[in-house]
Amino acid sequence: MVLQLVRLLSRNRQLSTLAVCVVLSVVSLVLPMPAKKAVSAVLSGGVLGPFKRLGTSLVEIGRMREDNALLRRVAVELADERASLLEYKHENDRLRELLSFFVTFEEEERSEMLPARVVGMPGGRVVERIEVDKGTLDGVAENMPVVVPDGLVGKVSRVFPHRALVEPLVSASSAASVVVERSRVRGVVRPRFGSATTLAGWEMDYVPARSDVRIGDLVVTSGLGGVYPPSLVVGRVTSVVQGPLTMDIQVDLAVHYSTIEQVFIITGRSVGARPTPEQELELLRELGLLPQDEAAEEEDHRDR
Amino acid sequence: MRTGTYVALAFAAVVLDAVLAPQIAILGARPDFLVLVVVYAGLALGATPAVIGGFAIGLVADSELPDYLGLHALSLSLTGYVTAGLWDHLVKSNVLMQCAILFSASLLHDAIYYFGYYRNHLDLFGRFFVRYGLLGAAYTAALGALIYLVARWRQWEAIVGDSRA
Repeated sequence: MVLQLVRLLSRNRQLSTLAVCVVLSVVSLVLPMPAKKAVSAVLSGGVLGPFKRLGTSLVEIGRMREDNALLRRVAVELADERASLLEYKHENDRLRELLSFFVTFEEEERSEMLPARVVGMPGGRVVERIEVDKGTLDGVAENMPVVVPDGLVGKVSRVFPHRALVEPLVSASSAASVVVERSRVRGVVRPRFGSATTLAGWEMDYVPARSDVRIGDLVVTSGLGGVYPPSLVVGRVTSVVQGPLTMDIQVDLAVHYSTIEQVFIITGRSVGARPTPEQELELLRELGLLPQDEAAEEEDHRDR
Repeated sequence: MRTGTYVALAFAAVVLDAVLAPQIAILGARPDFLVLVVVYAGLALGATPAVIGGFAIGLVADSELPDYLGLHALSLSLTGYVTAGLWDHLVKSNVLMQCAILFSASLLHDAIYYFGYYRNHLDLFGRFFVRYGLLGAAYTAALGALIYLVARWRQWEAIVGDSRA
C-alpha cells in the first residue's frame, strides 16, 4: 500500500508536490506552541512586518488627513464661537456697567431713564451727532439729557418717531454749565479750537482769577440752563493757568465717544435736584452770563 | 520571467491581504487576495507552482495567527492544486467562468480553513462559513473578475496569458 503510494507520487510530480506541502502544513499545525511562535515571529517580522508598518502608516496618514481637515473645520468654528462669546462678554460687561450705574438712582429717577442703543455716529474727527434707536414714540423729546455711566454725553437735538439725534458735548456748538465738585467753582465747558476747524480740547470758561481750581478736580454739571440736571460727571481738570481776570482751565471729558454703545436718555425732571428758577437766575448773574437789565426783566416777568 | 512576476504578485497579495483587505471589508467579509493569486497561478502556470506558491504565501499569512500555523498553507495548497486541475476542463477566457472558478476556489479555501479553525466547534464552523465564507467568496470573485477584465483590456500576460497552451 505504502509502496504503491510512493510509486504513484514519484510518477506524478504535481501530486508529490501537493503531498509534500500538505505534510509540511500538517507538521506546522501540530508543532508545539513555542516552535509555532518562533516560526511566526520570523515570518511575520521578517516578511510582513515592514510592509504592515508601511501600510499602517499609510492608513494612518489617510486618517490623519481626515482628522486634520476635521480639526481645521472645528478650529474655524471654535474661533467663530470664541469671537461671539467675546462679543457677548463685552456686551455683558457693558450691560453690567449700565445696570450698576442705573441702580445708583432712586426708583423715581430710574423710571425717567430710558435706555437706548447707539445706531449711528456720523462725523469725522469730532463726533457731531449720535443716533439712537428711541424716538417720540418712546417718549423722547428735544433737549433731553443723555448720559452713560462715565458721565454726560449730550442732549437730544432732533427727534423722529423711532430714533433721535443726540448733540454731544464734544460738538462745536455745545456748551454746558458746570461746577468744580470739590470747591463748587462754576463755569461753562465748551470746545476749544486750535484753528478755525481743529479741535484742541475743552476748556472751562468764565472762572474768575484765583478761584479754587486744581488739576485733577472733577467737573460736574451745575444744573443751570434747564437742560442738564446737576451732578452729572463732565470731566477732570487737566491744566490750570492763572490769567489777569479769568483762569485758563482745560478739561478732559470723561466720556469716550468712540466706544459708546448704550446710553440713557433722561426723560423726566426727577433726575438730580434741579435749582429753583430764582437760584438759577442768581447763579447766572453771578457768572455774568445774564445782563442786569435782562435779569430785572426776567424777574418782572416772573412776578407778573 | 512569468514565475518572477508571480513571486512579486504573491508577495504583493500577502501584503495587501494583511494591510488593505481589512480596510475594504464589506459587512465583515473581506476579499481574499491570496486565493486570487493562487487561482491565477494555477490557471496560468499549472499545479506545481500554484501548490508551492499557495503553501508559501499561506505560511506567511499564518504567521499572523501562530495557533493555526499551517492552516492557510494547507488550504491554499489544495486550492491551487484543484484550480490548476480545472484548467483542462474549463474555458478560462470567459469572465463568468473566471468568477465561478474564483468563487469555488475561495469557498474551497474557506471551507478547509474554517473547518480547521473550528474543528472543535462545528456549529460555529457552519455559522461562520455561511456568514463570512459565502460573502467573502462572492467579494473575491467580483474583485477577481474586475481584475481579469482590466488585465484583458491592458493585456497583462501574467493573468490573461497561458504559458501551458
